[in-house]
Amino acid sequence: MKKTLTVRPVRIRKLLAIIDVKGRALFSKNFIIMPVFSLGFTFLMQLLYARISGGMAAMNAYALAMGMLMNISMTGIYCTAASLAEEKEKHTLRTLMTSSVNGLEFFLGSLIPVVLMSEAVNVLCVFIARISMTPAQWAAYLGVTFAVSVIAAVVGMILGIFAKNQISASTITTPAILVFMMIPMFTGFSDTLKTIGMFLFTGIAFDAVANIHNGLPALDAQGILVLAAELVLSAVLFLVLYRRNGFER
Amino acid sequence: MSEVYIHASHISKKYDRDLVLKDLNADLHSGEILGFLGPSGAGKTTTIKILTGQLLPTSGEAEVLGIDCRDIDERIYEQIGIVTDESGVYERMSVYDNLKYFARILGVPLTQLDPLLKRIGLYEHRKKPAAKLSKGETQRLILARAILHRPKVLFLDEPTSGLDPSTALEIHRMLRELREEGMAVFLTTHNMEEATKLCDRVALLNEGVIVEHGTPEEICLKYNTVKKYRVQLRDGTKHFLLQSDETARRISAWLLENQIETLHTCEPTLETVFLEVTGRELQ
Repeated sequence: MKKTLTVRPVRIRKLLAIIDVKGRALFSKNFIIMPVFSLGFTFLMQLLYARISGGMAAMNAYALAMGMLMNISMTGIYCTAASLAEEKEKHTLRTLMTSSVNGLEFFLGSLIPVVLMSEAVNVLCVFIARISMTPAQWAAYLGVTFAVSVIAAVVGMILGIFAKNQISASTITTPAILVFMMIPMFTGFSDTLKTIGMFLFTGIAFDAVANIHNGLPALDAQGILVLAAELVLSAVLFLVLYRRNGFER
Repeated sequence: MSEVYIHASHISKKYDRDLVLKDLNADLHSGEILGFLGPSGAGKTTTIKILTGQLLPTSGEAEVLGIDCRDIDERIYEQIGIVTDESGVYERMSVYDNLKYFARILGVPLTQLDPLLKRIGLYEHRKKPAAKLSKGETQRLILARAILHRPKVLFLDEPTSGLDPSTALEIHRMLRELREEGMAVFLTTHNMEEATKLCDRVALLNEGVIVEHGTPEEICLKYNTVKKYRVQLRDGTKHFLLQSDETARRISAWLLENQIETLHTCEPTLETVFLEVTGRELQ
């Protein structure tokens, strides 16, 4: 498929149609398992930590951070990559691209439902973890998780370029999901992991939950810088790969 | 006065060292069905991919609706329809929702969907998930989606391949109607009968080269060098006779004696022409 190097205008009509279809597809059994699993995981962690700690609020925040991390990695990365791979596998991507949908419309149409789904799950995780937040804390939480969800979805699109079908999407995204999810989870066990975690968007989001719970600013200057840099970097990397390969490698 | 919708001039395509299309020239006018007839690997799909902007030619020029094939973008895709074996359907969505999705993308009023579903014979199946359609029904859905926005040019790559005869005939009927409505159809096929019945003009493609082109009748008559007659008499005997004075006398005598059951001339078919020109069979 020939790629266009120029930025084409986004037609809202087309974008809404793609968002609608992609959004509904997220509720199919292939994809819904990821957010449901994240919600279930948060619930179990909250239950477990509540028993261990005797109901310490800090442990609820830890359960929330774990669930949010899992959701961002699995919903954000896997669902985006697998959704793109499915379009390739079923030959609907080519049909769409030869039906007057341009690359930017498809990109945004694929990204937005995943980010919205990811954010909805992040909000539900707060209630499942039995955390209460002030409006300011909510704003900080939503801001950080939104930025991180966007980065995760762009990473998913990048990996999706290399996935021919849903099976290969699973194979390709699994190592990335493990890196982005496990490193922040185990920062407490190793200084090296802690240092690496400070430069991962998931690590920053993980720390942000603890900061918000402790009444501190969600992000410090380094965190903001890393998130901004990773957002730009992932977008640039996607553009470079898209220009070289299109959505199909 | 028909308009030229496609103009391809000296198109060649090379994959690594393999030259799969060589100096291809073609024109397609409004209200016309142009068939590219050739066996597998002749370059038919490559031609469609170049003309629809999915592949770049190695050399040569092609214009689709006045736009260079290298510059084809969504503005052209809004005016063409494409049916290939790489056309997919959203299997989890119903027949109606598949069409509705593309209607929204292409800005087609949803009120046009039911008449279209009736026209292609899928109205009864409109609520069925696309995954549960038969191959013929899926092909009709793909065709419906391709003509949903009433494109000026319709590209069809082996549209009836693997379909049962009745579905194939139904698709042929629909294509004739679309031609009557002014749509230009670019069709590839390896089915000689399909090309003969359906196409206004055909190009015989072999190993990336157009070896013959014209109307099916023109091509067949051009290669009708050895005039033959097939006669079946009332007593059941069959005779194949070459044109000659003697043959004329024999046929006259049988006619006078009322002995002839059937009498046919034996013109070559596109298949026999293809075999004669290339030494290869179409299938």
